Amino acid sequence: MISETRIMLEFADDPAQKTLETYRKNGGYQALEKALKEMKPGEVTEEVLKSGLRGRGGAGFPCGRKWQFVPKTDKPKYLAINADESEPGTCKDRQIMELDPHQLIEGALLTCYAIGAETAYIYVRGEYPHSIGALENAIEEARAAGIVGKKILGTKFRCDVWVHSGAGAYICGEETALLTSLEGNRGYPRLRPPFPAVEGLWGCPTVINNVETIACVTHIIKRGGDWFAGLGCEGSTGTRLFCVSGHVQKPGVYEFECGKFTLRELLEDFCGGTLSGRPIKGVMPGGSSMPVLLPEELDCQFDIDSVAKTGSSLGSGAIMVFDDSVSILDAALNVAEFYSHESCGQCTPCREGSDWVRKILKKFKDGNGTQRDWDVLWSVTDNMDGTTICALAEALVWPTQSYLKKYEAEFKAAMKSEAGATA
Amino acid sequence: MSAKAAREGKFSKELHATIEDLMTRYPQKKAALIPAMHLIQKEREGWFSRETIRDTAELFAVSDAHVQGVVGFYDMFHADPVGRHVVRLCKTLSCMLRGADALKDHICEKYDVEPGGTTDDGTFTFKRFECLGHCTTAPMMLVDEEKYEELTPSKIDAVLGGLS
Repeated sequence: MISETRIMLEFADDPAQKTLETYRKNGGYQALEKALKEMKPGEVTEEVLKSGLRGRGGAGFPCGRKWQFVPKTDKPKYLAINADESEPGTCKDRQIMELDPHQLIEGALLTCYAIGAETAYIYVRGEYPHSIGALENAIEEARAAGIVGKKILGTKFRCDVWVHSGAGAYICGEETALLTSLEGNRGYPRLRPPFPAVEGLWGCPTVINNVETIACVTHIIKRGGDWFAGLGCEGSTGTRLFCVSGHVQKPGVYEFECGKFTLRELLEDFCGGTLSGRPIKGVMPGGSSMPVLLPEELDCQFDIDSVAKTGSSLGSGAIMVFDDSVSILDAALNVAEFYSHESCGQCTPCREGSDWVRKILKKFKDGNGTQRDWDVLWSVTDNMDGTTICALAEALVWPTQSYLKKYEAEFKAAMKSEAGATA
Repeated sequence: MSAKAAREGKFSKELHATIEDLMTRYPQKKAALIPAMHLIQKEREGWFSRETIRDTAELFAVSDAHVQGVVGFYDMFHADPVGRHVVRLCKTLSCMLRGADALKDHICEKYDVEPGGTTDDGTFTFKRFECLGHCTTAPMMLVDEEKYEELTPSKIDAVLGGLS
């Protein structure tokens, strides 16, 4: 039987954990004290490298290596924490910010110390007023206690942490769009290189990490990189937050060690199977931008590399389940509506393509799809893939093509016959 | 902050002071634009008129077109007048799977309002929003800054019926 290993959520059930007093009583800010008084910045990075921590936002990039890309320069350096949690199905960072915000602030300070930054911005999506409020209260308390600001914990280290509110745009979770937005603009992604670690906010080196990644840093410094590396499995060390939603008996945000269970065990044993008791029809294993898995594909171990072998991805850790009462035409259209609405409009293949895909899927849903539409769907999505500045186009292409491939019969059955063609 | 805008008192004194404080958090004051626009929108009856766009642009020393572009880009800023409250019902996959479409129909019929529209008495503007990040407690809605989860038609009525 699968059970949770709670590290980030260890104290999440205690409403007082939000306060500085309780956070400290439970061992909070010990990692910061240890780092500032006993470790050099490079040793903090070494510890994170040793832990094997990979980014929790979706791409899974090794965290310590990202920090090492920051060049030695006299320019100011910044940390931007990505709390623009917008990938459909994902609601994990909210748990950290609202239930235990100090672990994020502590991680932010540790990261700034490691990379030589004196300012961290936490970019929180505007639709999270509760997260913004919880973080602002926590930062205020930490500032009053000499933990944020100048001479932190009586040392020479100074660092400010600010909450920055977004205003409702999925694309701002894309790291370069986040920077453009934070500077006060429409959230347009930027071409790379230069990478943000070299040229980010205001042309200065900027490290961008997800909320959960930064929260992990706190625990890594507190208990050691080796301890963290001993949890989970190779390639997916530590614990991860998973959001299970859709047609399951027990939806929720859970913390697990990766590689210790299969997706089927998670859904059928831990989450109690489908809500209706009907068979599972499909599972999106890592947010709506990832290819769907069929019921017969659920026996893979649930870690980054094993899920990648199925052709899908663990993504942001958001698992969305639908039973066989769902029409794939409805699901595909819902996903296409999302990405076409959220396309920033810079790149023609994404701006025009996402809308085109949405319109054709609407035709299928209305029973008016044809063989020609089917062919166009494939060619439009093929031409969106890899032809844009950021990955939003792929975020529509990957799930859509997976629906077309894996539920072809359902699309074909919904097709209208054309003159001179057979349906 | 533009001295002229401050002198003419385009916005309330308190708002000016708050925005000035926000600007100090960044090496370039323009970065405070989006956080400040939330506050400006609140003070200006929930939307950005041409006048509010102009005042905002002046305060930040950017063009009117820049502010207008920001208003148009972000879903939480409104380019048209809104009701006294804004109701945002999530429409994305997890909420859809848990019945959000039927809830939309319920709101439209019971309160005689279309998505994007405002009730005749001006009580609320109804928006269908893309993923609001409460997928494990779907379906959900935000009413102004308050959230309501695991919605049913009767839960919705209890909330919307109490708005004034």
